[in-house]
Amino acid sequence: MSQNTGEQILLFSDKREWADVVPLEQYEGDPVAPIFYSETYKDATDYFRGIVKAGEKSQRVLELTESIIRQNPAHYTAWQYRYETLLAINGPLDTELLLMDELAIKYLKTYQVWHHRKLLVTLSGKPKPELDFITVALSGDDQKNYHTWSYRQWLLSYFNNEEDLWSGELDFVEKMLTKDVRNNSAWHHRFFVVWASGVRSGEQDRERVLRRESIYVKQNISLAPNNPAAWNYLRGMLDHVKVPYSAVSDFVKLYTVPFDPSRPDLVDLENPPPSQEAQLPCVQAVEFLADVYEREGGKENIEKAVELLKKLATEYEKIRKK
Amino acid sequence: MTEPFDALHLLSKTSHAAHCRRCLTGLPAVSTDLDASRLVIAFYCISSLDLLGRLYDKISDAEREAWREWIWDQYTLGGVHGSGFRPSPYMKVENPSEHSVQYDASHMIMTYAAIITLAVLRDDFERLDRPSLIQSLQSCQREDGSFSTTPGGGETDLRTLYCAFAISTMLDDWSGINVPRAVDFIAKCRSYEGGYGQAPFCEAQGGTTYIAIAALHLIPERLRNGAEVVTPAERAQTIRWLVQNQEPSGGFRGRTGKEADACYCFWCSAALQILGARELVNVPALLQFISDCQFRFGGIAKSPGGPADPYHTYLALAAVSMYPPDNGEVEARIGSWKLPRLDPLLNTSEETSDWARKYVRARVE
Repeated sequence: MSQNTGEQILLFSDKREWADVVPLEQYEGDPVAPIFYSETYKDATDYFRGIVKAGEKSQRVLELTESIIRQNPAHYTAWQYRYETLLAINGPLDTELLLMDELAIKYLKTYQVWHHRKLLVTLSGKPKPELDFITVALSGDDQKNYHTWSYRQWLLSYFNNEEDLWSGELDFVEKMLTKDVRNNSAWHHRFFVVWASGVRSGEQDRERVLRRESIYVKQNISLAPNNPAAWNYLRGMLDHVKVPYSAVSDFVKLYTVPFDPSRPDLVDLENPPPSQEAQLPCVQAVEFLADVYEREGGKENIEKAVELLKKLATEYEKIRKK
Repeated sequence: MTEPFDALHLLSKTSHAAHCRRCLTGLPAVSTDLDASRLVIAFYCISSLDLLGRLYDKISDAEREAWREWIWDQYTLGGVHGSGFRPSPYMKVENPSEHSVQYDASHMIMTYAAIITLAVLRDDFERLDRPSLIQSLQSCQREDGSFSTTPGGGETDLRTLYCAFAISTMLDDWSGINVPRAVDFIAKCRSYEGGYGQAPFCEAQGGTTYIAIAALHLIPERLRNGAEVVTPAERAQTIRWLVQNQEPSGGFRGRTGKEADACYCFWCSAALQILGARELVNVPALLQFISDCQFRFGGIAKSPGGPADPYHTYLALAAVSMYPPDNGEVEARIGSWKLPRLDPLLNTSEETSDWARKYVRARVE
């Protein structure tokens, strides 16, 4: 980590309150892939090895591990030791979570940030504010961050509270999809909430849920047809409820042919058509229809499927050339 | 009509090998976040040199010997929960206390990486305590079938499970693992798209899909109880999702709708190889993408124009090993893309895989 702030960083070896700790160097012979550590990192980790050898777990360990984590958020032993220290001194969890709000955003892609958070929330037993935090985290530049979404899925399934947690999920995911209809993480989350996690409160009428989801996904496809995330959701949903793909043939066919200007402009919720600007035929639709024919079986259908797959190859080739 | 490999550049073996050697010699301070995973860097660099065929002609015996010794220095023989390999000596001190050794423990992913790298270096594994290694697998498996990175602690996900399976394969001894429970855990990670996520309920991702598919196929016949590891319907669905992840640019993406990345060129294409669907990979496009990811000063980047690193370098080369240009031409430019064959299950060259399966194996005394 570079320290370009011009400000003098005080080393632990310069601090009087640390004078009683014996710093210990990393013990290594001929190294392979050694890292040319900065002075501040070497200093902090020397003191950390000293503290760990002595087995000290005290308030100042929080200062030391925070310094290491800010220089190397993947230092999993510093995280582990920090957690054990918090337990040992009965440290305030809310202060720790506040610090984590800052570090999680800063090191969004680091595994340990989220693991530590999980441990803290398991202790505090308060998952609700976490959902709000994630909503903020996902509104930044990285709306598809894997760790953040996984953490949300873990919170929901682990605490499994209908009123406090699950009840707001459909609204949340809808907002995420409105922002970016191609965000597969959001489509995946929708699938998790509606289908994979079981039957949520108020969703017992599965026929109604299927109709609602079917209209929702079709409408989103009509707005942006070349969106594999939405097509995968449609497939996954039909697989899940064991409805054959042929049930949506009429809808899918609209997307397998070039735009038809003579088509009457009727509002059809079951089969919303593509817009005039849509890039057609749509690869995912052609593939879907081929699967419909293949599953129906019979010589004629198989021939139709093969014909479509050939067409798919040409379409794919066109895209590649572009 | 242009020939499929017309735009392919030479695979710059010499500069990629130089990149790997540079990283083995030292990493800059900006790489401090690799402090707790240096062994994996050694694995990527040394395995790359293996695939590039540069391990013996340019590197001295003494140098290879020093690498081997460094890896054995990371061996945690005598741990209470069994032994394995630590990521690096970042927590090692000259005279440890009873308290401090607990924090200088082995790590499952590092143990897998260490054993493979030692096999690349043709170690005889005389020093490996096999019962203790098996014990460490046992102490890492959780109730739900998953594995933690360190005995009794650390994060758990599919990566660790794969490492435990690969180690058991090399040992030819599965007594450290409750296989049915582990298989249940894998099944819970499967998503509606046909891929697997990192943990139950997570989004399908290329890396964890490879891991799940490879792990399932590592299970020996005798432990499968006559059942298929994936049903035909599951297989078809997974293949479809993997194929969909090959972008028009030729590179693979890790998740639906994301950008192509050299590492997923391995994860996705290796999963297809294991599933017996290699003919569905567009090989000329794949190689073109990797060719474009070559960094001008050596090494391979995540995507065209980016900086190189050992992780993307090795995984891109591993993909090339499985999918060489197949037009039979002998021209040097195209010939440079022919590398030693890869064992997609253990993710190392076939020769190294044979060595590991022979020498790591728990011997019946």
